[in-house]
Amino acid sequence: MRPIDNPNPPSDFAHPIEAEFARLLDFYRIPWHYEPKTFPLAEDPEGNITEAFTPDFYLPSQDLYVELTTRKQALITEKNGKIRAMKEHYPEIKVKLLNRRDMETMLVKYGMVEETPNLIGNPNGNNEDG
Amino acid sequence: MATMKTAEGQLESSSGLGEVIYSEAQIRARVAELGAEISHDYEGLELCLIGILKGALFFLADLMRALTIPSIVDFMAISRFGPPSNTHGEARLLKDLDISLENRHALVIDNIVDTGFTLSYLMRALQARNPASLEVCVFLNRPRRRLIDLPLKYIGFEAPDEFMVGYGLGLDERLRQLPYIAYFDPEQKDS
Repeated sequence: MRPIDNPNPPSDFAHPIEAEFARLLDFYRIPWHYEPKTFPLAEDPEGNITEAFTPDFYLPSQDLYVELTTRKQALITEKNGKIRAMKEHYPEIKVKLLNRRDMETMLVKYGMVEETPNLIGNPNGNNEDG
Repeated sequence: MATMKTAEGQLESSSGLGEVIYSEAQIRARVAELGAEISHDYEGLELCLIGILKGALFFLADLMRALTIPSIVDFMAISRFGPPSNTHGEARLLKDLDISLENRHALVIDNIVDTGFTLSYLMRALQARNPASLEVCVFLNRPRRRLIDLPLKYIGFEAPDEFMVGYGLGLDERLRQLPYIAYFDPEQKDS
């Protein structure tokens, strides 16, 4: 299986925390791309992709993909499984998962305690974190 | 609820302050070890310590006094990321060095490295100034959220993935002066 370039990455962020993360990267002049590639993780016997993973950000200066999730720790089993599958199928690709707690800690560190609930939203959400 | 003794000897309370992670004695001992290691590595040279304001203030002061080699000191400060209402554009230097780094052996001193954003921004600025060498010494390393790869030559402690205050680490500019490092729960903070 090979990664697939997304020729037309989304122009809007799927979640407010992603927009905030992009603003943080811009602040420190760290280049980034939003959802530039999709990594197939499983195929059916006909070669159709049945499972795939599209990390939120790619930082070219670090050759690093970053996935953000705002779900509760107990609800990110599926995402952790995809990260594990990524490491199995694409061991040369670096991926970092920042979870809800990481987001909270980062926002508090930057003095954004009041903004935190609006930015990280409902921890039980199904598709809120893209 | 925990208490701390102010310089005036009065007791002051601070909601949210938790268990001590690194005591004053542990900090003192580790700084002495770092001072000895750095003095050995830079023997025969003059070292330029560059403190990153404001967090590195206490660590820098202690470390500099633990060195047995000649050293000079300067400071840098960078604008802070924050809410859109008071953060505009990109990071910028609020305080630049007064001394030239040209052909000097420079050691950047910071109290904690987390994502690596701030330090990488400053390292890019410092590398352009042609120092003879440029290394980093951090008191606390928290690599779990590291997004920018940084060569950290000297590390005090590998820090837990928790919110902490003291020894330069503050919350809303407070509690930096604690002589120890303690856990802190921002949700329990005094309003």
